[in-house]
Amino acid sequence: MDTQQGQRGPTRREVFRAGTAIAASSLLPPPALAAADATIRAGITGYDVVNTLDPAYAALIPEYYLIWAVYNALLKFNADMQPVPDLAESFKVAENGGLEFKLRQGVKFHDGSTMTSDDVKFSFERLLDDKAPSPNKSKVSAISAIDTPDPLTVRLQTKEPFAPLLTFLANARTGTQVVPRKVVQADPTGFGRKPCGTGAYMLKTWNPNQALRFAAHTEYFVPGLPTIGTVDVPLIAEETSGVTALLGHQVDLTSTAPFADVPELAKRQDIKVLRQAGLNTRFISLNNRKPPFDDVHFRRAVSLAFDRNVLIRVVLFGEGVATSGLIPPSLKASYDPTPKPLTIYNAQRAKEELAKSKYQAGTAATMLTWGAGWWKRIAEVIAAQVNQTLGTQFTVEVNEANTVFSRLKSGDYQCSVWGWLGMIDPDEYSYDILHSQGWRNFAYYSNPKLDELLVAARRELDAAKRGQMYRESEALWIQDMPILPCFCSNVHNLLARNVSGFTQLPYSNFGDQFATLTLSG
Amino acid sequence: MDVRALTQGGVRRALVLAATLIAGALAVFFAMKAAPGDPALTALGENARPDLVAAFRHAHHLDLPVSAQFALWIGGAARGDFGQSLTLAGGVPVASLIATRLPVTAFIGAYALVLAVALSLVIGTVSALQRGRLADTIGTSFAVLGVSMPDFWLGYVLIFFLALNFPVFPSYGFVSPTASLRGALLSGFLPALAIAAPMAAVFARTLRAALLEVLHREYVTVARSLGFGPRFVFFHYVMRNALIPYVTVLGLQVRYLLGGVVVIERIFGIPGMGSLMVDGAFGRDYPVVQACALTFLAIVLLTNLLVDALCARLDPRRAA
Repeated sequence: MDTQQGQRGPTRREVFRAGTAIAASSLLPPPALAAADATIRAGITGYDVVNTLDPAYAALIPEYYLIWAVYNALLKFNADMQPVPDLAESFKVAENGGLEFKLRQGVKFHDGSTMTSDDVKFSFERLLDDKAPSPNKSKVSAISAIDTPDPLTVRLQTKEPFAPLLTFLANARTGTQVVPRKVVQADPTGFGRKPCGTGAYMLKTWNPNQALRFAAHTEYFVPGLPTIGTVDVPLIAEETSGVTALLGHQVDLTSTAPFADVPELAKRQDIKVLRQAGLNTRFISLNNRKPPFDDVHFRRAVSLAFDRNVLIRVVLFGEGVATSGLIPPSLKASYDPTPKPLTIYNAQRAKEELAKSKYQAGTAATMLTWGAGWWKRIAEVIAAQVNQTLGTQFTVEVNEANTVFSRLKSGDYQCSVWGWLGMIDPDEYSYDILHSQGWRNFAYYSNPKLDELLVAARRELDAAKRGQMYRESEALWIQDMPILPCFCSNVHNLLARNVSGFTQLPYSNFGDQFATLTLSG
Repeated sequence: MDVRALTQGGVRRALVLAATLIAGALAVFFAMKAAPGDPALTALGENARPDLVAAFRHAHHLDLPVSAQFALWIGGAARGDFGQSLTLAGGVPVASLIATRLPVTAFIGAYALVLAVALSLVIGTVSALQRGRLADTIGTSFAVLGVSMPDFWLGYVLIFFLALNFPVFPSYGFVSPTASLRGALLSGFLPALAIAAPMAAVFARTLRAALLEVLHREYVTVARSLGFGPRFVFFHYVMRNALIPYVTVLGLQVRYLLGGVVVIERIFGIPGMGSLMVDGAFGRDYPVVQACALTFLAIVLLTNLLVDALCARLDPRRAA
């Protein structure tokens, strides 16, 4: 309180005058905020752990949310999820799959140094270096040689054409963001806490598990951007608290929203809800080597025995779409919209398939899942439906997430709720999960025809032809039902009414949009 | 008073305290180790390569036998070195995390305790003096409500009414008292009240019962018949005696206060020990959880000591 002692209090008339002045000013148009002085509060919700901002070692989504603001990659995605130039000015794809990038001139890192082709080379070589292994190595492992004929040209060679490489060089969950050689080499282990990139924002302060503060990079290569001077990023562990923070004007933007609240929030006038089907896929992984899922008829029977739309209603509160394959709808070129009868609830057909199978009603199976979030709920809803339709005895076992994962990897399970999100190439949704050599093939599925098709799709550089191959692949494996596709959930962002300039992309983007945000009023 | 007996008592107490701390440390350590999960996978992501996981485990002594890990940890803890955070804030010393978090929790806890004591003193006294009348019914109803409402639910109700519908208090976040005392009192009010309400209910009921019991004691009647004023009798004869069970219950409730802090801090986004511990548990950050649990244990033990001392002051017969 600033009131000095002995001073007389305001008279009634003065209070009235002040009141009318405030009321009058609220009728006037709001003054435009001086953007450079403005601060926007962009809350990361549902997570509060950020370990590193080094793209080579990032593994968690919240880490990428911020990496996307601090760095750029050679490419980025446009609103149609097509890779377009970012640090590169242009790029060419050779017939043998080699890539040539012309870099933008005069791009500055946060330390003021200029980005060159050597930094790009260093960034990729770092991911490939086995002495300090990166979890993102697989994104660049197709590269066999990196040439830098001049400071603004980068040529990448591959042993054989590898179509996903182009996608992997975009500023997404890839780790291929460009870092400055000098800064990293000066302090390789400390770089994750003192990041330096070319991005629109640079890290100012970092309170572990609480908040991070970013300041505009004044030499950012896009003229006129970023618009806002400071971005504060509180780490909000509870998604629900993120909603109350936004409604109470403590944050201006959130990275996610709780599914249960979205339908109500969407009706409100004081906030904006952005949503679309996300880049993710949720399915039941079936262990094709273990009874009862070693029988194709039993697998089909289970797939026919539950209604995916019930999952959408009960688990997602309507915030998602049922899927009949692994590739999500937002990968438009590869997604197959044709409904597949084997993934549509049909009690009659389910029983027919069960009759053909070597297992009968009364067969027991355990659905492995873990306690956090919706996973347990998905398993319960499916088990209840399947048991009702087929008379089976499916039960749900809840375990700790890492334990579940290691049991999947070692094949010590019958079936499990599973899914992936944030991946950006159809190859990651098909080859990784269903190719006999795929590293996430926990179904232990092996189909030589599918293997052949997925390898061919990797080598196909023509986007349209490649997309067609993925559509064929989905029609092929669905007959064997090695996994049960379930749904693709929406991604959400909540924005205060006065925030604009956020373009939502289906892979749940965040920090890459900070540069264009504006505040009004 | 016998000074020697007093020192002996002090030494005995200190020994019991140390033994309890060590036993608690053991329990916490082995409970964490028995729980499933691997900090390496949390830190490195689900697709971490096996050699990376092995390197991480080696670097943090997770590949040693559990007994050796315990020896390493307890040895460090005795010197005030709680090791480094594994997953929450990779590499940051746990002691420094606690040093920044503990004052926040202490502030919220003290705030809640002050609110609970203030509320319960008023409600308990009024209920006892107005026994059977409207004020008592209202006070008792409040107490029943307070005991039956879970604190996290109350937290959301308070946010809904006092932060969103009538924006008096911020709905999320915390301003450090060192930055702005007014900001801290404002932003800490709803979380403190959410923690305080159930405690206040228990305190008020205890105080009411204690006051009613004392009010009908013979020495109170005697004091009145000697002609002392009602105010004097109330404060010197009634309240002072009723405070002994009150203070005891207060001390016991500090445990629940710490429990409440764990939940409420997460809801309101308060960067305190509670949210640190929850995050540590989710991330399998063993050193963080162990250090937090040990700190909480030390607080409870110290509170018990304090309550004993306070009761001795209130009731000199106990000091003997």
